[in-house]
Amino acid sequence: MAAPQVDLSVELAGLSLVNPVLVASGTFGYGTEYGELVDVGRLGGICTKAVTLQPRAGNPPPRICETPAGMLNAIGLQNPGVEVFIGEKMPALREFGVPIIVNVAGESVADYVSLAERLSDCADIAALELNLSCPNVKRGGMQFGIDGELTERVVAAVREATELPLIAKLSPNVTDIASIGEAARDGGADALSLINTLLAMSIDIDRRQPMLANVTGALSGPAIRPVAVRMVWEVAQAVDLPIIGMGGITSAADALQFIMAGATAVAVGTANFVEPGISGRIIDDLEDFCQQAGVACAADLIGAAHGSSDVEGLQ
Amino acid sequence: MYAQTTQLIQREQVGPGYHLLEFDCPQVAAAAQPGQFVHIRVTGDWDPLLRRPFSVMGTNEAEGSFQVLMRTVGRGTQMLAEAQSGTKFDIMGPLGNGFALPGPEGEVVLVAGGIGVAPLIFLATALREPGGSRYIRGLFGARSADDLCCWLEFSGVCDEFNAITEDGSTGEQGLVTDFLPPQLKRGTGCVYACGPALMLAEVARQCEGAEVPCYVSMEQRMGCGVGACLGCVIPTQADGTQRYQRVCKDGPIFDAEVVDWEAIHRGCTPG
Ligand SMILES: Cc1cc2nc3c(=O)[nH]c(=O)nc-3n(C[C@H](O)[C@H](O)[C@H](O)COP(=O)(O)OP(=O)(O)OC[C@H]3O[C@@H](n4cnc5c(N)ncnc54)[C@H](O)[C@@H]3O)c2cc1C
Ligand SMILES: Cc1cc2nc3c(=O)[nH]c(=O)nc-3n(C[C@H](O)[C@H](O)[C@H](O)COP(=O)(O)O)c2cc1C
Ligand code: FES
Repeated sequence: MAAPQVDLSVELAGLSLVNPVLVASGTFGYGTEYGELVDVGRLGGICTKAVTLQPRAGNPPPRICETPAGMLNAIGLQNPGVEVFIGEKMPALREFGVPIIVNVAGESVADYVSLAERLSDCADIAALELNLSCPNVKRGGMQFGIDGELTERVVAAVREATELPLIAKLSPNVTDIASIGEAARDGGADALSLINTLLAMSIDIDRRQPMLANVTGALSGPAIRPVAVRMVWEVAQAVDLPIIGMGGITSAADALQFIMAGATAVAVGTANFVEPGISGRIIDDLEDFCQQAGVACAADLIGAAHGSSDVEGLQ
Repeated sequence: MYAQTTQLIQREQVGPGYHLLEFDCPQVAAAAQPGQFVHIRVTGDWDPLLRRPFSVMGTNEAEGSFQVLMRTVGRGTQMLAEAQSGTKFDIMGPLGNGFALPGPEGEVVLVAGGIGVAPLIFLATALREPGGSRYIRGLFGARSADDLCCWLEFSGVCDEFNAITEDGSTGEQGLVTDFLPPQLKRGTGCVYACGPALMLAEVARQCEGAEVPCYVSMEQRMGCGVGACLGCVIPTQADGTQRYQRVCKDGPIFDAEVVDWEAIHRGCTPG
């Protein structure tokens, strides 16, 4: 007897994803870097590297260093700017035929608005992910995501400027992430993405200096997973919006923790560097898990760990 | 570019802290060009997390294998240094651009510092292949005799060869760069160098003064190895514009003229 088909599809911010596995911003370039190694067309979607209005050179090196089960990065939002993104990166991204979620970063509310306006004119963008949470730039970035009022203001301003679905990406560098999620919802976000990286630091004791030229950096990888799962759980309880959960995902079991904590979809980040084909493996293993657990629709697992506890907005 | 599980078929200690590793991987053996590297996952687990990059030192297409010369410096290289033959490793490669071949004129000088000899052995081997009648002079510098690893392999593919040690324990005493100026006066067509960043900076300075083209193999800490994370950049300058370029994709081989050596001196090295 053939095993029954499992339906992995999910709905998120008006997007229909064939499966809930995306790749996280900044960890998959513009897709083409991995084209030779990964069947990109299988992905639930791609979150692109952050794009800014003007090109950015990024931070001086060294930009990364390894930490226990994790890494620090201080890339500093290096990117060619929105015009080159539209002209040179979107044509190849389109070819993959999967939802393209464009991660945008600004130094001011006006920057985010201009980016949203410009990208609204570009065909085949599925959604915008507002990066309110980059810890590696001096101005803008995380400063938005750690302040509820600013979060609401920037999301509301972008809401006015575009019809595209809006996903607010939250910073974990706050004491109460649920309240930031509420602020993003009040501003008009259609979904939330969490978590971005944790502000962190590492010192080279032989050279007696920081490991990164930027001094501080952004922690990602398996080391942050339990923090991320906790935050998805808290936001899912407080906010009636779909969540893209991420932070240290390396397997379907990890992805399921996020889904059961209340995430509608997940994004694989740092693990792409270590195992380029990991997203495909996670999709296959999710399907196997559902089959073995007798779950017909993966979406039925969203928020499953909350049991009868008070969970709002889980689809 | 391939990503696959390969087998370590041989590991041989070739000096204190130096190991020659041979991997069974027909795809990389057939595709690798001198100067390219492989990105090796040292564990099936997630700690240590990142892959480690190593230059290809040589290939054996008939056997379907390739070699890496490795110096033990930290956790990842220690794990490789202890691996038994037969152990499986996940390898991505060949990655990076590889050396630009020299113009038709003049002799070729290869300047190796320590473990930097590895990609130059591969390059010299390729330049000597049938049809390649290039005169190759090798300069190999290291701290002491112990660190002149694989010097027999290197001298074997050079027409002329000089060993230089800082402590004078073998060959001439001094820095490898002390012995480059006379070579540059002898109608050298092209210089290739691999070694510590400050050695490369000095080689680049001398070649610029002598107006000899120079290519260097650069290092930086790496994440993805394929150009996606922008983690592995070094500062470069061309046509008056400064920017950051990826060692894994735009390099690891750079025209010495485009590298911003002043910034390298200020400490933009992997360490
Ligand atoms: C293109 C390229 C080619 C290389 N070829 C060789 C080679 O042929 N033989 C050889 O022995 N070594 C080579 N190296 C250096 C080698 O990658 C490092 O020595 C190795 O990654 C150290 O790992 P570790 O875990 O032992 O050290 P740790 O210090 O514990 O490593 C911690 C982190 O820093 C990174 N790191 C540390 N030192 C370096 C370095 N010098 N360059 C880049 N990343 C570093 C590691 O990859 C790891 O992510 C090359 C590096 C590059 C970039
Ligand atoms: C090298 C690197 C670059 C990143 N760049 C961005 C970015 O441009 N925009 C963004 O919103 N998040 C960026 N992130 C954060 C990731 O998208 C993700 O939120 C975070 O790394 C946690 O997931 P992980 O632990 O699976 O990597 C970056 C992460 C890394 C490691
Ligand atoms: S290592 Fe990721 S861009 Fe070079």
